[in-house]
Amino acid sequence: MKHDDPKLIDALAAEYVLGTLNGRARRRFERWRSKEWHVERRVQAWEERLSGLALRLPPMRPSPHVWTQIEKRIARTAPRGAAPAASRPAPPVQKRAPWQAIAAGLVLFAVLLGGYALYRDSAEPPQMLALATLTTEGASQPSWTLAADTELRHVRAIVGGGFTREAGKSYELWAIPDNGSAPVSLGLMPVEGTEDRELTDSQRTALQGASKVAISVEPEGGSPTGAPTGPVIIVADRVKRA
Amino acid sequence: MAPKAPPNAAGRSPIANPDVDTDDLELTQLIAACAARNPQALRQLYDRTAPQLLACMVRILKRRALAEEALQDVFVSIWQRAGQFESRRGRPRAWLMSIARYRAIDVLRSERAELYREAEIEQLPQLVTEGGMDWTGAGRSAAALARCFELLTADQRRGIELAFVEGASHADIARVTKQPLGTVKSWIRRGLASLRQCLER
Repeated sequence: MKHDDPKLIDALAAEYVLGTLNGRARRRFERWRSKEWHVERRVQAWEERLSGLALRLPPMRPSPHVWTQIEKRIARTAPRGAAPAASRPAPPVQKRAPWQAIAAGLVLFAVLLGGYALYRDSAEPPQMLALATLTTEGASQPSWTLAADTELRHVRAIVGGGFTREAGKSYELWAIPDNGSAPVSLGLMPVEGTEDRELTDSQRTALQGASKVAISVEPEGGSPTGAPTGPVIIVADRVKRA
Repeated sequence: MAPKAPPNAAGRSPIANPDVDTDDLELTQLIAACAARNPQALRQLYDRTAPQLLACMVRILKRRALAEEALQDVFVSIWQRAGQFESRRGRPRAWLMSIARYRAIDVLRSERAELYREAEIEQLPQLVTEGGMDWTGAGRSAAALARCFELLTADQRRGIELAFVEGASHADIARVTKQPLGTVKSWIRRGLASLRQCLER
């Protein structure tokens, strides 16, 4: 950017801090700010000037799980012996990593195990196929694996090695419809072992129209509103069926 | 001279009075300790500032669950960028607040917010934009801002406050105030220019 006009720089800095500089202009300004000290200084001046507007708000105490998650995440970003991250330019705040690669072996194992369990219990065992692997960001093992029959009537959830339970919380499974309509609850996830359940017609329809599923952390017993209220800890692709 | 309290002194609430000098000093020390990779320092920084940052993020994102998720990103970011704070002379709360606000604004305008569309909207009191704004929580240095803010026209005040506190875009403000986009943009531009002039006097 070639703008050298201090008035223009200052006006852009003000709207950047205010939040009304948006879209590509915002990203461009962010890059400019990180490269040019005189731009950065104007941003800082506006941050100082305006911060009082937000400092007036009454404080709100975060839920306990927020810190637990932060602690997990910083434990991963502080590799021993590596150069301190602080000496490098900070990377932009990362969006959630996309869904982790399928742990194919685990899914296969889950499906086999599930298939066997169902075979014992039922006269006509429906064939269970991998549906999704639910892994939290950065974890090496999935928290759950999901399997379902070809009709998507029966769903099986198997707790994996990556799952750590937070006391007093339930974990709810959601189908995220591709058409943009609201997530549909598929019920609570087991906290140990394996659980089978039959989907209702509306759940089944929602799942058929969803290429993604998600897990949210909810108060014990599940979402009180019928929509995700807690943080969404996992978003995973549903395995596409031919 | 006030005795220098250790960073973890928990006797008084720094939130209720964010402008005491020791608050700035202690937060600056905690940020430096984060840069030195001390996780306990991040925890203390969190205890002292997260409620204020969350309040600001809930205002922008409207949904507590979404704001709490974004708050995690903020503290991971603070942890990663703590070493950059030294280079600026400003107040630590302004720096922390900026990281939180920018993250909330980015999340608000991303697809992530869609996942929470049906989540419960946090009931928040209306902001007082006309006449007596309550600046008591904003601390001493906000006195100048409060004085200069009163010099703006009511429209300029409303526009700037909607943008800064609620995360509203030009288009959002035009919709709320039922004014043309160009008018809204000019309120904000002129309001910011007046604020700057007033604050630099």
